Amino acid sequence: MWRVGAALPQTSIMAVAFDGGVVLGADSRTTTGTYIANRVSDKITPMTESIFCCRSGSAADTQAISDYVRYVLDRRWTRLCAAVKPQSISCLACKNSSFDGGWGCLSCGGRGSLSLPFLRLTPLFLASLLHAYVFFLCRYYLDMHVIEMGTPPLVKTAARLFRELCYSNKSQLMAGIICAGWDSAKGGQVFCIPLGGALVQQPFAIGGSGSTYIYGYCDANYKEGMTKEECQTFVKNALALAMARDGSSGGVIRLVTVDKDGADREFFAGDKLPSFWEKS
Amino acid sequence: MSILEYNGGCVVAMAGKNCVAIASDKRLGVQLSTIAMDCNRVFRMTDSLYLGLTGLHSDVTTLHNLFNYKLNLYAMREGRVIKPTTFASLVSSTLYEKRFGPYFAEPVIAGLQPDGTPFLCAMDLLGAMAVADDFVVSGTCAESLFGTCETFYRKDMNPDELFETLGQSLMAALDRDCISGWGVDVQIITKEGVTTKSLKARMD
Repeated sequence: MWRVGAALPQTSIMAVAFDGGVVLGADSRTTTGTYIANRVSDKITPMTESIFCCRSGSAADTQAISDYVRYVLDRRWTRLCAAVKPQSISCLACKNSSFDGGWGCLSCGGRGSLSLPFLRLTPLFLASLLHAYVFFLCRYYLDMHVIEMGTPPLVKTAARLFRELCYSNKSQLMAGIICAGWDSAKGGQVFCIPLGGALVQQPFAIGGSGSTYIYGYCDANYKEGMTKEECQTFVKNALALAMARDGSSGGVIRLVTVDKDGADREFFAGDKLPSFWEKS
Repeated sequence: MSILEYNGGCVVAMAGKNCVAIASDKRLGVQLSTIAMDCNRVFRMTDSLYLGLTGLHSDVTTLHNLFNYKLNLYAMREGRVIKPTTFASLVSSTLYEKRFGPYFAEPVIAGLQPDGTPFLCAMDLLGAMAVADDFVVSGTCAESLFGTCETFYRKDMNPDELFETLGQSLMAALDRDCISGWGVDVQIITKEGVTTKSLKARMD
């Protein structure tokens, strides 16, 4: 299942949520073998104005995935002001009328009939077969529920789109993604989608090969209820430490702060990196 | 990753007018993880002869000890210090003795001949010698070093210019290699003596 001989996710990426937004950070080194192909690359990609993703793993895979997710999110968002009001389908599991034809229920995450693993000829199964048929119809003929809400896509939606692609194609892809952003429903959120395609929401997430060096530092220094400035310092220090020890991370630190007013990009060059113990 | 890239590191030596300089980085790693930033891979053989070794660090240390031992015996037998050309032949045959189970180290030799002219030579892990009159390189970013040295080198530099040129060539190449870096040490060898200078480089 795992690729043989391919390089490990070569980077250090991180995202932290605070009350009112998120801070995303990444290094800027892209390597082919041990040669640094790009020492100023940008690994923080915008999905929408307030949703960003940090990419680690194979650059080609993650670029293709994020392009596709951005396309889907754009399409969902711009297919608005539709003349036809979309029908709301109620989810079987949670009974909310938030079943999005393409992606499952937005509230509870249920996928209707597709979550049944076994073939059993019960009335419930037959009913859900029918539901599956409707499910596929919805995918093509239903306008997106999110559009009805009149707001930009939720961070959770973007994260679930990433998860779908990464999980369904897990044998061909090598992509570790951190999807983070701000939406009006739940504020700042961070979702981690590691290699196998799991989806985990966390207060902060670290990823890439450099992250192994900073698990202890992050666990020791993360506090709940940090302000935006404290989060930025936390991300900058953690990434500087990871870049110091990991050969496949380095270059400059790119920081993106997302809140309700949009995104703010910052850049810290080599000589501005915080420095820690260094034997002179 | 090849065994020669396991620990990382690089060495470069350049010749000036009646002087040579040899420089190396300071990183010691285990594949992509850095474990030390003060590793020495350039060793003094005699007052006017320096040996830089890149590759697997345990072989670097072993060869350093081996050549110290051989030079001590040489000094006792011959009653004089060894010439750079003779030392280069000694290194070459020591490496070739292990032709079918080699030391994973690639040396760079920089020294001044008894008449004061610079001597530079580099070898591969089997002892194939390449003598040059401008610069020699070895290590994980050797290709980048060839490029930067070729660009910055000019003939007949004095010791200060040589230090500047060599330092900048190495630092530019280090920026493009993940497994070398963490500082640069330069030794400038002239008839009067040896000066050691350290350069602060990117710590990533």
